[in-house]
Amino acid sequence: MREELLSVGIDIGTSTTQLVFSKLMIENIASNFSVPKVVIVDKEIIYRSEIYFTPLRSPTEIDGTKVKEIIEGEYKKAGIEKTGINTGAVIITGETARKENAKEVLETLSGFAGDFVVATAGPDLESIIAGKGAGAHVYSKEGRTGVVNIDIGGGTSNLALFDHGEVKDTGCLDVGGRLVKIDKNSGEITYLSEKMKELIERKNLPLRVGTIATKENLQPILDAMVYALMQSVGIRPMDDEFSLFITHKEGEEVTKFTCDETIKNSCPITSITFSGGVADYIYGEDRAADEFEYGDIGILLGQAIKTSPLCKELKVLKSVETIRATVVGAGTQTMEVSGSTITYTKDAFPIKNLPILKLSKEEEESAKSMEQAISTKLNWFKLEGNLQKVAIAFEGSKTPSFVQVSEYAKGLLAGMKELMEQEFPFIILVENDMAKVLGQSMYRMLEYKKDVVCLDSIHVEDGDYVDIGKPVAEGTVLPVVVKTLVFNK
Amino acid sequence: MDEQNIRKMVEQMVEQMINGGGNQVKTITNQTPAGQATAAATPVSSECLPDITKIDLKSWFLVDHPKNKEEYLHMKSKTPARLGVGRAGARYKTMTMLRVRADHAAAQDAVFSDVSEDFIKKNNFVFVKTLCKDKDEYLTRPDLGRRFGKEEQEIIKKTCGQNPKVLIIVGDGLSSSAVEANVEDMIPAIKQGLSMYQINVPPSIFIKHARVGAMDDIGQITDADVICMLVGERPGLVTAESMSAYICYKPKHGIPESKRTVISNIHRGGTTPVEAGAHAAELIKRMLDKKASGIDLNKV
Repeated sequence: MREELLSVGIDIGTSTTQLVFSKLMIENIASNFSVPKVVIVDKEIIYRSEIYFTPLRSPTEIDGTKVKEIIEGEYKKAGIEKTGINTGAVIITGETARKENAKEVLETLSGFAGDFVVATAGPDLESIIAGKGAGAHVYSKEGRTGVVNIDIGGGTSNLALFDHGEVKDTGCLDVGGRLVKIDKNSGEITYLSEKMKELIERKNLPLRVGTIATKENLQPILDAMVYALMQSVGIRPMDDEFSLFITHKEGEEVTKFTCDETIKNSCPITSITFSGGVADYIYGEDRAADEFEYGDIGILLGQAIKTSPLCKELKVLKSVETIRATVVGAGTQTMEVSGSTITYTKDAFPIKNLPILKLSKEEEESAKSMEQAISTKLNWFKLEGNLQKVAIAFEGSKTPSFVQVSEYAKGLLAGMKELMEQEFPFIILVENDMAKVLGQSMYRMLEYKKDVVCLDSIHVEDGDYVDIGKPVAEGTVLPVVVKTLVFNK
Repeated sequence: MDEQNIRKMVEQMVEQMINGGGNQVKTITNQTPAGQATAAATPVSSECLPDITKIDLKSWFLVDHPKNKEEYLHMKSKTPARLGVGRAGARYKTMTMLRVRADHAAAQDAVFSDVSEDFIKKNNFVFVKTLCKDKDEYLTRPDLGRRFGKEEQEIIKKTCGQNPKVLIIVGDGLSSSAVEANVEDMIPAIKQGLSMYQINVPPSIFIKHARVGAMDDIGQITDADVICMLVGERPGLVTAESMSAYICYKPKHGIPESKRTVISNIHRGGTTPVEAGAHAAELIKRMLDKKASGIDLNKV
């Protein structure tokens, strides 16, 4: 019983906008003598769009209408109807996520692209999606080693560290090809990002908007960028200069960057992969005829990285995707399937943008502590005093007894009283395999009068959001996308 | 020392290990034959030897000077097979040998011991036994493990009534340990799941010396719609506590095995009994709806 799901990935980046369609194959791999185990067994990209420059209405606004036209056109070219899409993700990345109307554009698009196409943003997720799209997690898993992927786009460089296939850390730097823009014909610098202006000032370089750019006068900028990348992966020591390049994340007092420490302390890396538009000029053999062909410093940056110690001191692995890594990652790596023994008493899916309330190990100790923790933490999810929908997550015992499952159910229901008053559905994500019995326990305690959704085998953290799609594989599993929704300012 | 003496001594040692105290140590040393006086003279520690069967096989690594221990352990984490046990000359290390024998002993115990009367009472099971006189006959005569005598048939009739919708029954099968380890968590989960569909079940029967085919005789006697039989699986060296649930629509004498649906591998390290129970409840409901079980269930 193989089943195919059609997935779309859309990436609206600083410089480019792209789309891919892929097929995700799911199958029950358990024998006839055990409980079902439905997993994603294969992924195949069936259509790649052209690569478009991201249309902007102004330096601070995305041209939503044009973006929509591009997407519409590609659906038509691929011969795919919106109704045929089962899942997917629209991701808005790099500097584009900092545009004033980013959120609005993203939401319109995700609705337009299909019923269960999620909207995501946020540099951590962007790093992970690009790293997976580049195949770094697979290298790391198969080579049983630490691998870093750097996705170098127009506005930012996103680092993702993988150790034995697991994400260990992510980071984001303001290093990219389009932080300096150049007029193709005249060679004049037409745009310098704020960070570049500061760098130029610090280094006292003779570069201004209007200056004729050459490989030589840009060299100090390129060197500084490459040096920051070397520092970021721990092959050069940190200094004060580095902090200039750290991308500031919204909601954080100080800009933080921890990849170098993670590499030093817990995730030694042996290899590096590159993705993003600049990667083509790191892997590429030929020199471009015109260094400013794209009206930016991307080609020069790629060449500078190619000859730098980054590619000598670390083993360079060929990434599976370069400029399309993020879009491929969005299309093929965002959806997971829930455990195969789960409870949902009503098919009211998709449910989108559910924030997660996660209990700690201590809090799930007893029914009483669960109740207290949930009712306290629910206050965090109140907007102007009104409770929103929320999913409760906890880890749970690996081998719970029936009595313990009943305790969990009791604690959860007592803690979620306030949700019940709001007529919200009870949505539980438990990490260990017990969702069917736990869901049934809760349903019984609710006297079969309220609906329950209880899923397992999904790992989430506080601050994550989840989307839950319509049941697949004869109703045994639910597709789930775990995402972040952090917009940079 | 004759065999009985050794047996007594081992029993006492085991008892001591379980109680964890040193109170019995003296009695043991007292019973040590005089020829081993040195043992009595050695200072007696109140500590227990660690129970080697408690060591997790997946992370137990005995290779000396491994090139890459971490990776070996990673491979081992996927299987309870005895990999990475090292060697002494051409043989296993003592620890490995002891562990194999301990696991083998646990497997034999699982087969040869009985489910305790206390356990049956505590769970309010109604006790019946098949035609087998004892364990030896049970092991050598599978046919007798599938049928009940006149008296037992009456008990079954009285307990289950005529044409019950669902019966949950328990058989010791080849592992009494499996039954004791799992049914207390599994049965409440099945019952809870069934209550969702307003299905109540009569008290559960416990069958001593049971083969899976015993459910056919019970089906014949009661004309039950669906019988779910929990039975101890033949123990191996990995676990002696694995249980299966055989579920069948209208089991009768001579029903082909293909009409049974089975959930196997129910134990701590496999499918947990609670989750298996919840799953079984939905399977039973489907069987009632489709009037089929086994491979027929996949066809409809």
